[in-house]
Amino acid sequence: MSSLVEERAPQTAGRAARLAMLDALGMPLLAILLAFVGGALIIWATSGDFGTVLAAYEGMISGAFIKTRGFSETLVATTPYIFLGLGLAIGFKAGLFNIGAEGQFYIGAISAVWAGIVFTGLPAILHLPIVMLAGALGGALWAGIPGFLKARTGAHEVITTMMMNYIAFRLTEFLVSVPLRDTLSSAVQTLRVSPNAELWSLWQIPQRLSDRLNALAVAIFFAALALALARWFVARGDMATRLTLSRRRVVVGGTGLAVGALAFFGLPALTQVWWPFSDQYDRLHIGIVIALAAAAAVWWLMYKTTLGFEMRTVGANPSAARYAGINISRNILITMALSGALAGIAGTIEVLGVSICRCLPLFFSSGYGFDSIALALLAKNNPIGIVGGAFLFGAMRNGADLMELNSGVSKYVISLIQGLVLLFVAAPSMVRYLLRMRAARKIEEEAPLTRGWG
Amino acid sequence: MALASPPIASVRQTHGEATTTLQATGITKRFPGVLANDRVDFDLRQSEIHGLLGENGAGKTTLMNILYGLYQPDEGTIFLGGQPTQITSPHDAIAQGIGMVHQHFMLVPPLTVTENIILGQESLQPATRVLGRLSALDRRGAAARIRELSHQYGLDVDPDAYIKDLPVGAQQRVEIVKALYRRAEILILDEPTAVLTPQEADELFVIMQSLVRQGKSIIFITHKLREMFAVTDRISVMRGGKMVGTTTPKQATSEMLAEMMVGRKVILQIDKAPAHPGAVILRVDNLQAQDDRHAMTVHDASFEVREGEILGIAGVQGNGQRELVEALTGLRHVVAGKVELLSQDITHATPRAITELGVGHVPEDRHKHGLVLTFPVRDNLVLCTYYESPFARGLVINAAAIENEAQKLVKEFDIRTPSTDTLAGSLSGGNQQKVIVARELDRPVKLLIANQPTRGLDVGSIEFIHRRIVEARDRRTAVLLVSAELDEIMTLSDRIAVMYKGRILDTLAASDATREQLGLLMAGVKGGAHV
Repeated sequence: MSSLVEERAPQTAGRAARLAMLDALGMPLLAILLAFVGGALIIWATSGDFGTVLAAYEGMISGAFIKTRGFSETLVATTPYIFLGLGLAIGFKAGLFNIGAEGQFYIGAISAVWAGIVFTGLPAILHLPIVMLAGALGGALWAGIPGFLKARTGAHEVITTMMMNYIAFRLTEFLVSVPLRDTLSSAVQTLRVSPNAELWSLWQIPQRLSDRLNALAVAIFFAALALALARWFVARGDMATRLTLSRRRVVVGGTGLAVGALAFFGLPALTQVWWPFSDQYDRLHIGIVIALAAAAAVWWLMYKTTLGFEMRTVGANPSAARYAGINISRNILITMALSGALAGIAGTIEVLGVSICRCLPLFFSSGYGFDSIALALLAKNNPIGIVGGAFLFGAMRNGADLMELNSGVSKYVISLIQGLVLLFVAAPSMVRYLLRMRAARKIEEEAPLTRGWG
Repeated sequence: MALASPPIASVRQTHGEATTTLQATGITKRFPGVLANDRVDFDLRQSEIHGLLGENGAGKTTLMNILYGLYQPDEGTIFLGGQPTQITSPHDAIAQGIGMVHQHFMLVPPLTVTENIILGQESLQPATRVLGRLSALDRRGAAARIRELSHQYGLDVDPDAYIKDLPVGAQQRVEIVKALYRRAEILILDEPTAVLTPQEADELFVIMQSLVRQGKSIIFITHKLREMFAVTDRISVMRGGKMVGTTTPKQATSEMLAEMMVGRKVILQIDKAPAHPGAVILRVDNLQAQDDRHAMTVHDASFEVREGEILGIAGVQGNGQRELVEALTGLRHVVAGKVELLSQDITHATPRAITELGVGHVPEDRHKHGLVLTFPVRDNLVLCTYYESPFARGLVINAAAIENEAQKLVKEFDIRTPSTDTLAGSLSGGNQQKVIVARELDRPVKLLIANQPTRGLDVGSIEFIHRRIVEARDRRTAVLLVSAELDEIMTLSDRIAVMYKGRILDTLAASDATREQLGLLMAGVKGGAHV
């Protein structure tokens, strides 16, 4: 009722903040809990035996965390979820419902493989960034087409990205089985990428770091990280007033340099002496570190830059964005390209770090891109939430096999539980009803996911 | 069926000579965190027009929604004709003889007047009644009754006309007939004059008086003091969920009512020195623009605004004002004509280019264009300048600078907010509007375009915003003020242009213009002839 809004006194800040906090954290957790309860009911109903429920969940937990390489495989599955979730979250925040992540993932993978094959003899410090860039560009281009169509003609991105998925699947199949095919292999798959384009598994690190150039690459990564952290630290209120600008620059630069130097000289030596990862069958790779850095970068982009401000404004209120002078067409293009680039990197990492043949096989089954829609919604498009949600989804995906083995429950129950999570997240009022909770009245900063088809 | 005669007995009450037909005592209604109605007493006598006055958020809509059955009171009793009763739904309210004419009409444009009126209460042709829900409608009988009712109460309504072809005033009469058709004895009119010209409002008052003469009773909600004096028998004022008091037009003065409404002394007239117009800032030549359905709603509009003056554009809502303002600010495509700002052609410039040339824009719809409700107050205060120094350096936002600016503006413009981190959507309308005005006036603007800058605001906020607009003028800013509130136009403007059906019909000096003259122009009558 309009009068409800009209005749409401502003809530006190503290109470509102607490409610917002509870809603931001509590609702997703409740949704997860309810989804698992729902999953249990379905397993119980289909098997007629409550013991099966326990066996299934016990198998899932064991498969995801306890069995040999269980935990590291969970992290392996978490990595692409993080990238894809971030990509979708950027789109959702800006009001674009990109459901073509799966296709962008494939195009990213094939672009990266191509760049991994055609360039040879490059050192890893060059080749690895090149393949990542190729994957990102492939995904960006693929998502950019629907972005362009939307900006130009108003074609709805849900339709176009969905259709672009099918084109991506068939195009990848063609590229794998004709131009990039490894004709010597009996399986239909692409050529193997150059070893320097591979993403390092963790057990390989000591060996990889013995190469000075690789050590330099790692040092640059850590130096950049330290620089960003130091910059954030000195910009905080207290420090900002205590130190002059030039003094702050010295502190920031010094920290970056010191950490870089320490990493360059220290890490190779350290890893020779002590390194916990030695299992050669462990597929855990450095992608997880890059993914965490990406989550931080996306958070920074969304909340600390003018571009992020524009994207959020367009998502929250396109009319106000236009009024404020924001170029909406340009914003749609950039958002879609960024969203696709992150999906493309997910594909890149999957094929260069996880695929056993370090190539793209014809039957490269993923499904990551579709799951990530539920993931981004669950995380309410919050980068930190994405990391947590990706871990949950990774664990479920990884635990599914042992669950099926131990209890005989089909592993597709996982999709069912994910579906329930999505259902409960998308309908918080239903959760409230189920749990008899009183609605916390507030206005959410959330991109509307049900906007007209115009 | 609700067609039975409503149970209103004539029970003489203790006070005075008149009969009380509806009485509410001790009505309390709580919403989470808000006491919307606090032990409110209200009574309506037979054949009277009882005005209900109050600012937004005073609780008058809640009270009316309770009387109309949309809400149930937490405490308190409603008496109809002396008998305690419960009104459980709008349907129930109608059955008990209470009708409501909402501010936003509840009519279906592609249907005829008759169809709209009988909607939900269709009378059927007796011969076909056996067919149940498939029986034929008795349109002719209904139309006859509508004619009879409109004749009886002096309501000019053609039963066969289509709603979409009717002007707003006629649509309102249809709403009234709809209530009468349902045998309403008590009519609640919620801000009925908001969409009318002064002459149409006067016509409505004649109808209202004719209704009460024939035994109906009316609750009349408005925030315009003038109308209270024009038409009511008694006036009740609400503030902060409480009933402040009841008086009569004879005993009350405008100042007194305003004070009851706001709780403190209010200056109704803005002190305004004569304008000293300077160079032309904005020149509009033969501007043409279309609305969203590609109908031409701005025809050959030409005018200019000079520095240090306020040009008011008067007109009934929906005469092309919105499209005009959007065309001037780059939000709408200009079909033909020319817009010049400081001798620079901005006809096809982007909104950002126009902003950067020094135009401030207070948009008509603060929720749609003016604010991002889900963003904090802080971000809304830099919505148009977030990318400029010092708020950003290159791509990176300087949160501290934005916070400083926000703190400064919150203090300077008296924005009542718990913090700069509070979401704009949780502020009251007046404070939301202050956020916009603060943002648009803080820049060194050469032209301020304010479209309906005080719509729906409380008296205190209106006073504040009016003062700021006049101050901007005194700082040599050119001001284009668009408003459907004639009082606002007459209070603030130095010159007044009247817009009718997309044309600027005439431009008058504010000092010479009379309400009657402007009212005629707003209705499209110029020099004695209808345009």
